[in-house]
Amino acid sequence: MSIICLSFLVIGIFLSLSNNLQFLARQLSENLAVVFFLEKDIAPETREDVIGRIRSSPPVDRVRFVPPEEALRRFRERFPQLQDVVADLGTNPFPASIEVVLKDRAAASPDILRFMNGFRSLPGVEDVQFNQDWVEKMRSLSRLARAVGFFLGGILILASFFTISNVIRLNVFARKNEVEILRFVGATNTFIRMPFIIEGVSLGILGSLLSLALIYGVIRSFPLYLGASLGAFQDIVNFRFLTLGQSLTLVIGGAVMGLLGSLSSLSRFLKI
Amino acid sequence: MIELYHVWKQYQKPNWALSDITLQVKKGEFCFVTGPSGSGKTTLLKTIFRELYPTHGQIIIAGKNIQRIPSSRIYELRRQMGIVFQDFRLIFHKRVFENVGLPLEVVGLPRKELRRKVFNALRMVNLHHKIWEFPAGLSYGEQQRVAIARAVVNNPSIILADEPTGNLDTELAFEIIALFREINRQGATVIICTHDKEIIRRFADRAVFLHSGKLIGKETF
Repeated sequence: MSIICLSFLVIGIFLSLSNNLQFLARQLSENLAVVFFLEKDIAPETREDVIGRIRSSPPVDRVRFVPPEEALRRFRERFPQLQDVVADLGTNPFPASIEVVLKDRAAASPDILRFMNGFRSLPGVEDVQFNQDWVEKMRSLSRLARAVGFFLGGILILASFFTISNVIRLNVFARKNEVEILRFVGATNTFIRMPFIIEGVSLGILGSLLSLALIYGVIRSFPLYLGASLGAFQDIVNFRFLTLGQSLTLVIGGAVMGLLGSLSSLSRFLKI
Repeated sequence: MIELYHVWKQYQKPNWALSDITLQVKKGEFCFVTGPSGSGKTTLLKTIFRELYPTHGQIIIAGKNIQRIPSSRIYELRRQMGIVFQDFRLIFHKRVFENVGLPLEVVGLPRKELRRKVFNALRMVNLHHKIWEFPAGLSYGEQQRVAIARAVVNNPSIILADEPTGNLDTELAFEIIALFREINRQGATVIICTHDKEIIRRFADRAVFLHSGKLIGKETF
C-alpha cells in the first residue's frame, strides 16, 4: 500500500503546486494587469486627463493613482535591504503611476495590446507595463508542474499496478487450496475472483486516501517550517489543497488501479 | 449416466496414462475402479469431473458431452457432483459448518436453508455434535466424514471418491465405505477408486480393473 500511497502523493503534491501557480496566475491577471508610468513633471491637468481617459475605457474595471511617495514607500517595505541604494540617490527615483485593473475577460483578450498601445503615445505617459508575461509564465509553470507530476506519478502508478498484482498473486498462492476446493464444489469464476478483486480495490482506495491525508499534512505543516524564510516566494510555494474533483479523481484512480492490478493477476495466475 | 468412449490420456510422450477406456456406469450404480498405483484410477476420475481433458475420446454425463462445456460453465457440471479426495481437502481455517456448507454457499442458498442442510448432512455422517469445530481438532476418520458430508450436502446425482480410505485404518475404512453405500441407496451414482482388495470383496456391486492405463476387466458381483 505504501507504494500506491507514494505514487498518488507525488501526483497530489504536483497537482497542489499546479493549483497554486494557477491561483497566482489568476490573481496577477485579476488584480494588477496594466501599469501606466507617468512623466516625471506631468502637469496635474494632464494627469487628470489621462486618468479620466483610462477610467472610461471599456476593458477597465478599476483605476488607482499611485503618487511617487507611495511608490517609494512600497519599495522600502518590499526590499528593505535596498534602502541604502535609494538613500544614496538623494531624490525619489519613482515616477507616479496609474494602476489599472482590467475586467475579467479583458486581460486574456487580444484587444488588450491595442488598448495599451493606444495609451502609450498619450501625452504624459512615459511607459506602459502589462504583466501578461508574468501571467503566461505562471500558467506555463502551472502546466509544467502538472505535467511533471503526472509523469513521475505515472511511473509510480505503474509500479503500484505491479505491486498490487504481485500482492494478489501471493494471496492466490496462499489460498490455492481454498480456490481449488471452491472450483470442485461448483463455484463460478466470479465467486472465486470477487474476494481478490475487493482486496485489490480496497488497497487502491486506502493508498489514495492515505496519500490525500499526507498531502493535507504537508500543506498544513509546510508554512510552519519554511514559510517565513521564503520571503517573497512564500506565495508561490504556499501549497493549496486539491479541489474536490481532483481528490475524488485520485480516489477513483486508486480504485481503478487496484481493480486492474487484481484482474491482471487473476487472469495470469488463477487461470479463470 | 456416465459414459466413456475410447478415452485416451497422455501427460508426456510416449506414455499413456489412459489407453482406450470405454466404460458405462448406469444411474444409481455403486462401482469401484481398482488397480495398482499408477494404473490410471485418479486420471480416470479427473477426466470425469473435467479436471483433465482426455487426449482423445468422449465423455458423456447425463447425455451431455462434457468436453463441449466451456471452462466458464464447468461449475454447472461440478454442482451435480460430490467429490471426495484421499487427503480430504478441507479448509483448515474454516469450521466444520463452513466447510460442509461451501457447496450451498456458492449457489447462494438462503442462510436458514443452508443451516438445515448442513446439519442434516453432518447427522448422516454422525458428526453433527462437532459442527463448530475446526478440522484440525478432528481425527482423520472424522475429517474424511466431514469431506463426505460436504460432498453430499447438495444432494448430487454423482459421487466420485478418489482413495477415500487411503489414510484410514481398516475398521474406519469399512465405516466410510458403508457411508457411501448408504448414499448410494438414497439414489446417487457412486464411483470409488481404491486399491484395497478387501473393500472390493466386501462392498462391491461392480468393479472395473485398470492396469497401466488399460481396462483389463469388469466384474459384477
